[in-house]
Amino acid sequence: MPPVINLKKCKKCGTCDLHCPLDVIHFDRKKKLPLVKYPDECWHCGSCRLDCPAKAIEIRFGPEMLCL
Amino acid sequence: MVKNMGSLGERLETDVLIVGGGLAGNNAAIGALEKGARVLIADKSAIERCGAIAGGVDHFMAYLGTDIWDTREAYLEWVGKIARGTVNLSVQNAVFCRELDAAIQRMERIGCTLKQSDGTYYRTMSMGQPGPFFINFDGKQLKPLLAREAKRLGAQVLVKCAITGLLTEDGKVVGAVGFNIRTGKFYTIAAKSVILATGNTNRIFENPSGLPYNTWQCPANTGAAQTMAFEAGAKLANMEIVRITLVPRGFSAAGLNALTGMGGKIVNAGGEDFMPKYHPAGVRAPRFKLVEAVMKEIYEGRGPIYVDCRHLSAGEMAHLKKTLGYDKDTLPDFIEQKGIDLAKEPLEIMPSEGMQGGSSEVNSSGIMIDETTASTVPGLFAAGDCADQMRCVHLCTTGGYLSGKMAAEYSDNVGKGPRVKLSQVKQLQKKTFAPLRASGSVLHRSFEDTMRKMLWQNAGPARSDKSLNVALEKLEELETYFKDIRAQNYHELTRILEANEILQVAKMMCTASLARKETRFGVYHHRTDYPETTPEFDGQIVLWKTDRGMETEFKKLDYSTIPPL
Repeated sequence: MPPVINLKKCKKCGTCDLHCPLDVIHFDRKKKLPLVKYPDECWHCGSCRLDCPAKAIEIRFGPEMLCL
Repeated sequence: MVKNMGSLGERLETDVLIVGGGLAGNNAAIGALEKGARVLIADKSAIERCGAIAGGVDHFMAYLGTDIWDTREAYLEWVGKIARGTVNLSVQNAVFCRELDAAIQRMERIGCTLKQSDGTYYRTMSMGQPGPFFINFDGKQLKPLLAREAKRLGAQVLVKCAITGLLTEDGKVVGAVGFNIRTGKFYTIAAKSVILATGNTNRIFENPSGLPYNTWQCPANTGAAQTMAFEAGAKLANMEIVRITLVPRGFSAAGLNALTGMGGKIVNAGGEDFMPKYHPAGVRAPRFKLVEAVMKEIYEGRGPIYVDCRHLSAGEMAHLKKTLGYDKDTLPDFIEQKGIDLAKEPLEIMPSEGMQGGSSEVNSSGIMIDETTASTVPGLFAAGDCADQMRCVHLCTTGGYLSGKMAAEYSDNVGKGPRVKLSQVKQLQKKTFAPLRASGSVLHRSFEDTMRKMLWQNAGPARSDKSLNVALEKLEELETYFKDIRAQNYHELTRILEANEILQVAKMMCTASLARKETRFGVYHHRTDYPETTPEFDGQIVLWKTDRGMETEFKKLDYSTIPPL
């Protein structure tokens, strides 16, 4: 499962977009919000959560990994 | 210096171009910058979190001279045993031993100490080591700290830039081309030297979870260096190796080392601690032995398999829980979300997906390097997992730094800026953007899935002359479908080019596997038609491009003497 971004806490800094090693998160310039655009390419490395200055990101695993 | 080249994008110039801003790439940047070179790092991401150690790492292998097993000689002797046939002791000595002291100091200087808060080293032993070579440390900020240091020293960074081809002139590498994976802007980079540091090759074998990006090492690392170096005529080595490890079931996460290194046992469904049955060192046996044992236990119906840490002391368990997130930031979350308390229940594990990479923790597969990290093509260097003689945190740190120094020295002697041939740039640009014009009748994801399944079947944990040749035939057929895989944007283009890199590495892997007519490192190269390991093959399979495709030769290596420092 991809990272879950709390858009209310989000500071719209774009760090998650910049730091994601897999180009999964794209900051939408028009909506001014980050979007997890390629959720099935998430590597679950935790970089977005680590570097988010607003602590707005949670890592939630889904059944495809928890129940394999 | 940036120049606009119209439809050919932007032209940049530097002394040392580093492709891949991971652990080795960043250390290389520091090495080159300290020598006064101009450095440009190009990475598909940003350098703060890219590559294999993104969210952290927890182990640095080193000898510290405290005891007879803790010496350079004992380390090299162990290396010669554990990686016999793929490691070159003379190169290992040059890229690790000579650079070790400086590397430990550099770690301290940038703010990533290897010590515990009480000033001591916490060391663990595994993989058949003669003593606890692994220094356990908190490397969660190692990547950002290295990135900060490289930038502080003046590194230029091209973020979200996929490098797709090397530029050559008169048999020398003079730069590279690439594109921005968001905007599609094309880059032509003239460089006096190039260091390739893009890691090992992942997404190449079927993933047991069915999720191709659920990989042990970084799924963005798909063999760019190996592919580009091969095209430029460089020699590669150790390409036959399949790497498999053990991971928590469902999540291909690093962390096994932490669990077993701290005393965790591997048990089957009946609670049997079965490893001693398979190897005298039990759970401290070489990794491939652990993998084979688990595979056999599962195959023979004694699974599921678990790592059991319930017997650890309260102090050991506290340390384990505190440090488990160092190597994989989200592993503690996974275990918690599974509802497991390691102190009370065992954790199910499984063999990971296969990767193309190192046979051990001390060397890898890829560009064949010498004692100066130079490839066989002038101007081209390699560092980290894509170099045949480096792997893991310790070697990427020491060897990456050495590579930077050597490339800077080489650049110093190059003189005037290299000439870049426009015709070559245009040709590479056309190749790079070709998928944007493809027919679209074949989908990228299913193409890659098919390739992965086919390779696991024919070139995975059991190989034969027949199966490897079938794999090569099918790879050639698959390759003809590239013209039908369409990229609708530059992110998709990046993925399709990655699929091509995987395919090229797979061809090299199968060809090298055919040449090694023996079995070595168990499942890491298991020839069912040549099931024994023979000293005749105590050396590397070297591979390079020819007009007819590729050729291999055997390079015998000396394991009888420890090279002097």
